[in-house]
Amino acid sequence: MTATTDGQHPVFGPVLSELNERHRDEVLTAFAAVEHGRDPVPEAQLAALRDATLRRHLRRLLDRVGRTLVQVGNGHWTSGYADDVAARLSAEGWQPLPAIDRAVLVLVLVHSVAIPRSQGLLSGDSWTSAHPTSADELVRYAQLPRGEIRPALQRLRAAGLVQSAPWRGRGPDTGTAYLPGPALNRLTPSARQRLEHQLILAAAPESPLAASIRAKQAASEHTDGDR
Amino acid sequence: MSDDDALWWAKVRSGGPQRVTPDSAYPAGMTRLVEPDARAVWLLPDLPDNARPDVLEELGLSGFPVDQRGDTARVLASCLRCCWSEPSGPIWPGTSASLDDVAASFRAITDTRDDRARHAALLGAVRRLAASGWVGFDEEQRTVRLGPRVAAWNAAELSTLRELWRSMP
Repeated sequence: MTATTDGQHPVFGPVLSELNERHRDEVLTAFAAVEHGRDPVPEAQLAALRDATLRRHLRRLLDRVGRTLVQVGNGHWTSGYADDVAARLSAEGWQPLPAIDRAVLVLVLVHSVAIPRSQGLLSGDSWTSAHPTSADELVRYAQLPRGEIRPALQRLRAAGLVQSAPWRGRGPDTGTAYLPGPALNRLTPSARQRLEHQLILAAAPESPLAASIRAKQAASEHTDGDR
Repeated sequence: MSDDDALWWAKVRSGGPQRVTPDSAYPAGMTRLVEPDARAVWLLPDLPDNARPDVLEELGLSGFPVDQRGDTARVLASCLRCCWSEPSGPIWPGTSASLDDVAASFRAITDTRDDRARHAALLGAVRRLAASGWVGFDEEQRTVRLGPRVAAWNAAELSTLRELWRSMP
């Protein structure tokens, strides 16, 4: 393990050294649970999620690796990229997903979340959903060869960005369907809003809502530029 | 520790171990794995023992599911058998092996499915493992080597893997 001359972990040590041994273990366990777990973790299960003081230490630990705590629903927690870190990665053009994977993910989000939400079938600002998008729909709307969509879906599934679901819809479509994956729970409130704005700008660029989003973005950039 | 360190940790989290030029980055808390030709370095996060993914099992929580879990594990075992040339020594960087050698090892530990299905399973698993940094796969040369993630295994895990290595045909 990398360590400084005093034996401390250079990233985690400064936060952990303020805690007694039991609290150190509790905070590290919660760190592992929110960072590596597939799903949000109920706070009832871990002291460092339940207790506000320990949770503050956990938040500081996550902050040192560019992450933050994200609350999901009532009493569940996961972790996600801190907004300032996500902004720096975007500004650098950091993009680990190929374009085709992003295109397929957007289609799943549009059909499983954005359309059901616009029909009043989904409430809140979450990007998870119980409305599956069939594989046939993806092929039809993506207008890309099935042979390219399949590996993209495999990569998205491996990243937790989509998950398989049985197709329960009407019509001729059969077989596999997809839902947004558990990684979408990791979006911070600000990231959820940015994603919603981007989809509105892409899907209805001439709408009054898109104009309002553009105006807000321009005002925000202007304010940032003044700082 | 600086803001840039946090950014490096975020990059590795999102894109897997990062390959950089030897003099370009020294993020805090990361192991630097030098490539055998010393032309590049892999950055690998170094987590304290009780902050690693194996804690999930103790808590009864699920990690991310792996496609074709059994075959993927068997192919990783075959890559280790072929590329960890000296198991009494360090696992990284190991040596390069031909895909045919890995296929032969995989054949020896898999069921009696036909060659075509076995080859498809092998290729799928090698590509999955390569995408996540567990192995390196040169599709043109049809060679496989160990990926930087194997260097994250601790002493206890390596001891178990040495036993596995010895038990494999």
